[in-house]
Amino acid sequence: MKRFRMAGVLVAVVLAAAASATPALGQSPKSGGTLTLVLREDLAQGFAIHETATISVVWPAMPCLNNLVLFDPLKKVESLDTIIGELAEKWSWQDNYRNLVFFLRKGVKWHDGQPFTSKDVKFTFDMVRGAPDAQARLRINPRKDWYANVEAIEAPDPHTVVFRLKKPQPSLLLMLASGYTPVYAAHVPPANYRTGCVGTGPFKVKEWRKGEFVDYVKNPDYFVKGRPYLDGLRYIVIVERGTRNAALQAGKVDAAFPGETTKTAAEQLKKAVPQLVVTPFSQNVNDNIMMNVKKPPFDNPKVRLAVSHAIDRRALIAAVHQGGAVVGASLAPKPWGFWGLPEKELLGLPGYAAKPADEKARARKVMAEAGFTPEKPLRVEMVTRAIAIYVDMASFVINELKQIGLEATLKQIETAQWHAMATRGDYQIGANLTGIGPDDPDANFLENYGCGSPRNYSQYCSEEVMKMIDRQSQELDGKKRLELVYAIQKKLEADAARPILAWRIDYFTHWPHVKNLVPHQSIYNFGRMQEVWSDK
Amino acid sequence: MAVRPLEVAAPARGEPGVWAVVWRFARKKPLGAAGGVLMLVMVVTALLADLLQTHDPIATDAAFTLGRPVAGHWFGTDHLGRDIYSRIVHGARVSLIVGVASTLLGSVLGGIVGLLSGYVGGKTDLVTQRVLDILQGLPLLVLALVMSASLGPSVQNVIIAISIPIVPRAARVIRSSVLSIREMQYVEAARALGVRHLRIAFRHILPNTMGPFIVLCTAQLGSAILVEATLSFLGLGVPEPYPSWGRMLSVSAAEYAQKAPHLVLFPGIAISLAVFGSNLLGDALRDTLDPRLRGA
Repeated sequence: MKRFRMAGVLVAVVLAAAASATPALGQSPKSGGTLTLVLREDLAQGFAIHETATISVVWPAMPCLNNLVLFDPLKKVESLDTIIGELAEKWSWQDNYRNLVFFLRKGVKWHDGQPFTSKDVKFTFDMVRGAPDAQARLRINPRKDWYANVEAIEAPDPHTVVFRLKKPQPSLLLMLASGYTPVYAAHVPPANYRTGCVGTGPFKVKEWRKGEFVDYVKNPDYFVKGRPYLDGLRYIVIVERGTRNAALQAGKVDAAFPGETTKTAAEQLKKAVPQLVVTPFSQNVNDNIMMNVKKPPFDNPKVRLAVSHAIDRRALIAAVHQGGAVVGASLAPKPWGFWGLPEKELLGLPGYAAKPADEKARARKVMAEAGFTPEKPLRVEMVTRAIAIYVDMASFVINELKQIGLEATLKQIETAQWHAMATRGDYQIGANLTGIGPDDPDANFLENYGCGSPRNYSQYCSEEVMKMIDRQSQELDGKKRLELVYAIQKKLEADAARPILAWRIDYFTHWPHVKNLVPHQSIYNFGRMQEVWSDK
Repeated sequence: MAVRPLEVAAPARGEPGVWAVVWRFARKKPLGAAGGVLMLVMVVTALLADLLQTHDPIATDAAFTLGRPVAGHWFGTDHLGRDIYSRIVHGARVSLIVGVASTLLGSVLGGIVGLLSGYVGGKTDLVTQRVLDILQGLPLLVLALVMSASLGPSVQNVIIAISIPIVPRAARVIRSSVLSIREMQYVEAARALGVRHLRIAFRHILPNTMGPFIVLCTAQLGSAILVEATLSFLGLGVPEPYPSWGRMLSVSAAEYAQKAPHLVLFPGIAISLAVFGSNLLGDALRDTLDPRLRGA
């Protein structure tokens, strides 16, 4: 408890620091210059944001594209109140949140000179919702279930689009404001986005040299006059984490990769270069264990529950994150998020008992009931992505599981194969990170726990939970909705659907000459670079 | 009745024993002996890792991450609170298994190729040598990297990845010995008596290439350990969380090197000593077993 209170104080301090670190509103933006940014790996799906589920693609692809609406790049907090128009000039809810009407900007052009119209919007969202009459299909469609409630999309004229919903769903607008929701060009085959990008965004792709860099140049025809400020962007690929930090320290790159700067690394960087700006923010990314409920041995609920009991969340936060994370269930807890279960509610859930030894004892008991002991262990293969932050977490978890009679060997999977493998359910157990576009229950529950959702990697499916998800989605009373969301989170943890281990905090670091690059509460939503300028 | 060609003679009575030979070797080649001691320490460490460890090498300690060397953790702890001393002790096992297995596999395969190529000669030799030229044109590390990247990270795959580049080197060494041995009179005699070619090659020529073979193995052992460390450093070696010296140097060591230099120091020393020891021993054995270098 004392540690939790300390964490609360730390979070308050960190928020105060974050508030002081962001944007330089007193200064007049300057045009010109280029920024050098860093990537932790190559773009596994190119610029095809609709076919990806990783920040490794969203971050470098966002400057090329636009959404209908977007979370204000200059505001840290994301909510309905901070949504601004991009390709949509105005929007309006009608018929008690059953019709969402967008009025589009006029005179917008794609990077190849073609005009942008409502056809592009209909084309994109019919494709991502998998409409029967969609003009194109995606190879992988991770967020299809975000649009399960969309009955039809109509384009009555070139500058108006109507989303007709089956049931009221205020959250739809939040999902449309995520960096995961760009509009594709109808005249470009979706497969082309895997190798290049025709967008309407503030920057045009100049060159993508695989495994090395992505170069952007300013879009002179951008529809927001005077934007972007920068002449260009360069994203260079540096796979090794220590080398990335060294490059930032040496000034070879201007800003870190979102989600990759740990608390200790940030402390080291700040000590080495005091003028670096460090902004802690929530990421909206959690560490979790995905267990394939369709395959032995994790088709046995007892084994899944034992896994959840076995992992000491607080120790993981101390060891893997050096304190740079917080405990929580399937939605980010306050103050980093809005919907997460409060700490007192977590204490009764598997894995959150005050004494970790009690949890281990419970886990061993449940494993023994399932027929496994440390002397006669269950042997499994654990998968994780071949990225340091994943491997660290997996290494910790393997040691925890070993203590209850579950011995795991670790297999590292490259990003290009990871999502396809997880979607196919071609694994037993995985050490996973799940990031959610907006901090919203619909976005999270439908994507990660919805029956049949491509991103429901554990393939957990509960009719009861689906009904609860549906109810909260339609609930217009905020207080009642919050209660429902809490109940769903408790049920998911009690079922060990995808045990959540921690909510990560990133210590986003950049040089002081980088202005208006404001980390949001989700890493997926602030990569547009339209407002960013350089004071170099 | 077939006449048996020359066989290796049994040690005559009065010849010095093993310890006397070792002592004489140590006096004549003190650096080689030092290398031998380092390798012996490594072998003993690897064999007795479970007894020598002070902690489970994969056990994490959240309360003592990036800890400096103290009484309970002689070499400190890493970013997950794992005991570095215990990981180095177990890492010796990985390095030795990978080093010895890949060296033996590569050398035996290469030895067979070199033996047959040298003995058969003609077009077979010509074609084999050109293929080996191509393989040898690629540096050991580059070829191992390609192999490892395509096979994926695991102990078995690392052994295969490192052994393949050793094949052409071993083949060349054995072939050159075979070329001179096959012209010797006892080989001619065996042929004249109608002994089958395979029997001549494996029974009468191969044993006489053992000197260069041993030198080759000890010389390649150091390289193999180094390549294993490099592959692990690059994430292509033994998978986490099991310890490997190369992996201990990479991943988070580089990130936390400023705050906790012991993360880099101890695995670095372990790799250096292993490679140094292997090279010293290999050089001394080469000098001792090669008649042209005796007394050098």
